[in-house]
Amino acid sequence: MDISTSYHHATQTGSSAWHARRALLRAAVFETRDREFWSHRPAVARSVATGIITEVREDAIVLDGPGGIELFSFSPATVTWMGAVTAPSALRVGDQVIIRHRSLDTAAPARRLAERIWARIGRVTGTIIAVQGREFLVDAGRADGSPRHVVVAAASARQVQVRFPRLAPGYLLDVIGTRRGRQLLAVIPATAQPPYRAGHAPPPPMVNGPLPASISGTAVWHEPEDEPPGLLGLGYPALDPADGKPPADGGMGCVRLPYLSLGSTVRLRNECADRSAVLPVTSNGALARQFCDRCVECGTSPKGRLADLTMAAFVELGGNLEDGCFNATMTLAG
Amino acid sequence: MLNLVDEVQVGLLALLLISGSAAKLWRASGAGSPGHATGPTAMFPVRLRRSAATALCATEFALGAGLLLTAGSAGARGPAVVVRAATFVLFCTAVGALHELRGHRPDAGCGCFGELSRTPVSWRAITRAALLCVAALAAIGAPPVRMPRSAGQAWVTLAVAAAELALLAVLSPEVGQLMIRLGHAEPCELREVPVDRTLSALRSSAPWRRYRQFLVTTVPADIWREGCWRFVVFPGVLASRQVEVVFAVYLASRHGPVRVGVLDTGADLDGSWSGWSGSSPDPLELSTHV
Repeated sequence: MDISTSYHHATQTGSSAWHARRALLRAAVFETRDREFWSHRPAVARSVATGIITEVREDAIVLDGPGGIELFSFSPATVTWMGAVTAPSALRVGDQVIIRHRSLDTAAPARRLAERIWARIGRVTGTIIAVQGREFLVDAGRADGSPRHVVVAAASARQVQVRFPRLAPGYLLDVIGTRRGRQLLAVIPATAQPPYRAGHAPPPPMVNGPLPASISGTAVWHEPEDEPPGLLGLGYPALDPADGKPPADGGMGCVRLPYLSLGSTVRLRNECADRSAVLPVTSNGALARQFCDRCVECGTSPKGRLADLTMAAFVELGGNLEDGCFNATMTLAG
Repeated sequence: MLNLVDEVQVGLLALLLISGSAAKLWRASGAGSPGHATGPTAMFPVRLRRSAATALCATEFALGAGLLLTAGSAGARGPAVVVRAATFVLFCTAVGALHELRGHRPDAGCGCFGELSRTPVSWRAITRAALLCVAALAAIGAPPVRMPRSAGQAWVTLAVAAAELALLAVLSPEVGQLMIRLGHAEPCELREVPVDRTLSALRSSAPWRRYRQFLVTTVPADIWREGCWRFVVFPGVLASRQVEVVFAVYLASRHGPVRVGVLDTGADLDGSWSGWSGSSPDPLELSTHV
């Protein structure tokens, strides 16, 4: 990532340059070892593209995204997900997609092959506030307070009910599906429902002595909402209360994480894909704090959600969005 | 002597029942989730746990208060006998319930004293409940509780009470939990530290006194936290260059170390900017490192 040559841009909160600026300021204080460790600038999305399909060809799609118009080829190995695994021919102009890709030819990096395409994928995580049959209104912690509308697909109702036995107001819900306008058609339960009501997660264990440098748990993802679609970052469940943010529900969560601020950087490792990246904290992961679940994508992770990644960051780190999580290890600045 | 022992039971039982009720109420006000029931209520269906916990808490408080109210001159009358008999029934039920809980939910604590009672039920908790059951039985026949008639009697009363409390403490896993909590200190990464306290510590530090003269303003341009450190940034001028002076304040104690660094923003005082050069060597000596 290139640090902006404009100092003023670097002082705009939330920008990549602002995150890099804080890293440089930290490095100006601490010793060289820390500076070298954190000299890797925050991750660049090298294998993820987001955008809207403008053209569907027999062997490729054309995408209009933040990087402009881009073309991605298919191969027989390309996996397309739109509520379920399907053929690329099911894609339609106007579909919002996120693509994991790689270069077809190192000599011609502009030619890219889509390895995995997620079309109109969405996720709703939050507290159920109203129920009517298979329809739910969910408080997902939006800034404007508006609830998310979720409809559980008929074919998935039993599966969702098994993982979420208490589909009643006050209980947590976390489902993945396809977006249809302002509604989510849920097809996959992202986790097992906690037995406690929202805001009443079990108290975490007492911690004696300094926290370990690395903490393991699970990493999940969230929809962009107000964030730029291709943003690489994460929602952190333990933002410093002194930052002035309103206290969120869920108490301290079931994994003790050190307090950080927006813009702090962490190194997050996907244990399943053996990939890691330095990512900035870009939002408040208060909802993640309410869950004490484990990820079982590759072995069983310790309890607790460490990070609520943006979609682009989740895919960039090798996660598959329909899985909902990956086993993760987070390393903090020393 | 035997009457003295019986009289002591009334006070002890009342103390234990009221403190247990208070501890449960404290826990309920903090968490309040039936999904996290401890003790015998964990064996109830989820939808009944809140009601069961409330009923148990109310019963304990009512019996404890009843024991106190009927301890005196009313001690020989019907109400006192009824309250003491109900206490006996409660503790007998507790013995059975704890035994069942140990079999069905071996991971559950007894919940006797709220948050302190998360240790899985063991023979200690069951024995304690059985002893309290015996104490309640002895209290049924106790005469009205009166002030000791002599110093010797007072000492005997205290000795009996102390011995019984010591025995209960030996049988109570809550005592160990309480000692752990009293001796526990949160790591600094997890402590909530107000920004004002950080700024106060910064302004009383040697690095602040040394670098204050180079700052353009004492209003921070940026503040953020990373674990045990809080970073505070001020715009400054150094050797005719615009800089940012960043102080890192350690949050573990009120007078923790303060470190400082200087970042050259790459702008001359005349406003011309030659690109962001990143951090530059600080011509001044850095503050003491941790």
